[in-house]
Amino acid sequence: MSEKPQVKSSPSFFNNPRNRSLIYQFLLLAGLVYFFYGIITNTLANMEARGIKSGYDFLFTTAGFDILMSLIPYDATYSYGRTFIVGLLNTILVSTIGIVLATIVGFLMGVAHFSKNWLIRKLAVAYIETFRNIPLLLQIFFWYFAVLATLPSARQSLSIGEAIFLNVRGLYLPGLIAESGAGFVYTAIGLAFTAIFFLARWARKRQNDTGQQFPVFLTSLGILFGLPLIALLLSGIPFVWDFPALKGFNFRGGITVIPELMALALALTVYTGAFIAEAVRAGVQAVPHGQTEAARSLGLKESRIMKLIIVPQAMRVIVPLLNSEYQSLVKNSTLATAIGYPDLFTVFVGTTLNQTGQAIEIVFMTMAVYFVINMTISFVMNRFNASVELAERN
Amino acid sequence: MKEFTPLPDKPAPNDVVGIIPWLKDNLFPTPLNSLVTLAIIAFFVTVIPPLFDWLFFSANWSGTTQAACTNKDGACWVFVIAWSKQFFYGSYPVEELWRINTCLLALVAIIVASFKLHKDLRNKIAIPLFLLLPFLSIILLDGSLIGLEYVATDYWGGFTLNVMLAAASIIVAFPLSFLWALGRRSDMPFIRSVSVILIEFFRGVPVLALFFMGSVMLPLFFPEGTNVDKLLRVWIVLTLFMSGYMAEVFRGGFQAVPNGQYEAADSLGLGFWQKTLLIILPQVIKISMPNILATFVMLFKNTTFLLIIGIFEMLSTTQTALTNSNWLGGHSTEGYLFVAVVFWICCFSMSMISSSIERKLDTSHKN
Repeated sequence: MSEKPQVKSSPSFFNNPRNRSLIYQFLLLAGLVYFFYGIITNTLANMEARGIKSGYDFLFTTAGFDILMSLIPYDATYSYGRTFIVGLLNTILVSTIGIVLATIVGFLMGVAHFSKNWLIRKLAVAYIETFRNIPLLLQIFFWYFAVLATLPSARQSLSIGEAIFLNVRGLYLPGLIAESGAGFVYTAIGLAFTAIFFLARWARKRQNDTGQQFPVFLTSLGILFGLPLIALLLSGIPFVWDFPALKGFNFRGGITVIPELMALALALTVYTGAFIAEAVRAGVQAVPHGQTEAARSLGLKESRIMKLIIVPQAMRVIVPLLNSEYQSLVKNSTLATAIGYPDLFTVFVGTTLNQTGQAIEIVFMTMAVYFVINMTISFVMNRFNASVELAERN
Repeated sequence: MKEFTPLPDKPAPNDVVGIIPWLKDNLFPTPLNSLVTLAIIAFFVTVIPPLFDWLFFSANWSGTTQAACTNKDGACWVFVIAWSKQFFYGSYPVEELWRINTCLLALVAIIVASFKLHKDLRNKIAIPLFLLLPFLSIILLDGSLIGLEYVATDYWGGFTLNVMLAAASIIVAFPLSFLWALGRRSDMPFIRSVSVILIEFFRGVPVLALFFMGSVMLPLFFPEGTNVDKLLRVWIVLTLFMSGYMAEVFRGGFQAVPNGQYEAADSLGLGFWQKTLLIILPQVIKISMPNILATFVMLFKNTTFLLIIGIFEMLSTTQTALTNSNWLGGHSTEGYLFVAVVFWICCFSMSMISSSIERKLDTSHKN
């Protein structure tokens, strides 16, 4: 009766968490090995059956197709490797345009949400709710097929001051042609940026040490425009304008923005802008009202409250959201393929894949590129985020 | 003894209530703002009447062919009406449309039931049915297994395909993403790294690249001779894509459940799965609901991307209709407008639901 039940000092083998987790992980590993073994043997068999070559030799063979738009010299005699670079540059171009414009539109609309004017407030809400809830591809089609395709022909172009022309074939902007001595001006611009960087550092240090402020913004503006201007005058203005002009059936000269690029950039801007506006709104609303009241009771002006109290705190919410919006903009730029803008996806996964049939290498390279671009964005934004984050004492 | 009677309330001063002070505060607070207000009003006055005229008053509503669009100053809604069956159901045989409607009704019914039913019934009937619904729907839509007329997936299409694909993907993604999220929180290093790689892969790659992977690479992965249906491959890709995003949503949910809940479950002696499924999961789903809906809206909008790999969802049906030789009259604005309105209504109402849930859950006292 008084016999105590025997209590084991350690659990049985299978109930030991260490053994269990080892077993589970081993099972997963075995499953994965089996899965990949199956995939790889199937793929090799399939590739042999269909006569698909493997390896990256195709990058050096002649591509033999033209690309609508290229930022570097390209024609059909260049290699597939070159098509990769051309597509990559076009992707970076449209993403950069999209990110810059969407940020501007988004911040304007996000701030408009807090305007004193009822109409502006409601317009901002209408913009956000309309464009956030319509599929991006539809917006691209709308701009491309319904808006840009109805523009007048080359002879009846819309024009601003005989310098900028807009017609169904694209937007024609005047370009600058650099002559000898332009390098001097470029150096001056580089110098101006370096000077501003060091000026800002010096001014911040001085304010931390002595409390005295230095008008950094105005001085920077002066340097930014002054230095290149002096260089320009000293070197005898080594640039000439290259105006687009109607020759035959089309415009020549200047910079041509093809309608595909316009439609894609417009749609990406408007769509992502709506999301950024929403992020800005959320960020500003996340700042407790007490902060504004406290600032007012300290006697700060409304503009100083915005700059010193609201914006720095709102940025903590906004920056991580911006990070993911920028990344999705880059990923969404692949929709270029629907209207034929020659981005990496259209050129490489589209035409090059069709011609060479080397699906695995090409899809892998393309995915890797988007990964790298997004990692870069994430890295930059995280650095930026660290600078706006709340400095906590641990 | 004189009783104290308060004086009657004074009415609010005239310059703070009523329509004129409101106008002054909200439309004309500063000279610059007044100018902006006038500019916006002027813009609306010039734009709205012609727009409404084009949209409604001069628009062509009746008829079946392009010739019925006689008024060139108005929209040609005949185009949309004539193609509406295609827009919503694709090329699915007309006499079999009840099958699609049944699937959609079942989806709505199950969602409503899971909110209204008693807890036990919900757990025993509604949730298993919900998880089985995609497979039951496929059997019904395909028809060959249950003795109905066989309808190949090439004929499935239109807006209902967008809805069903999105719904089927999120339903399968629920358990999958939950497992991935659990894996990412696990203490086992190998399981954790596999989950992280899976999640980050499907979130970091453009969904279009995934579709291409599904259409050019997946066939290489299967044994020679197997022919996997295109729609099935798309479904797999969408499910995995959705799982990547949802796993992150769930991870946020897991982090929001207070630690005391885990400890309380442990101290009651519950095992890992009992703790996770009975204590943590219900709270996670409740917390994550707004984000799940937002992710679903994204997925739903992304189903239009299927146009690029040649699935006849709504947008690609519209493109086909626009290039149809009987309708080459430049109806693109009408077509896109119609698709936009349909998607907008769905996405907007879902985001309204999502923010109302968020407001209900938000108990902080801001402002």
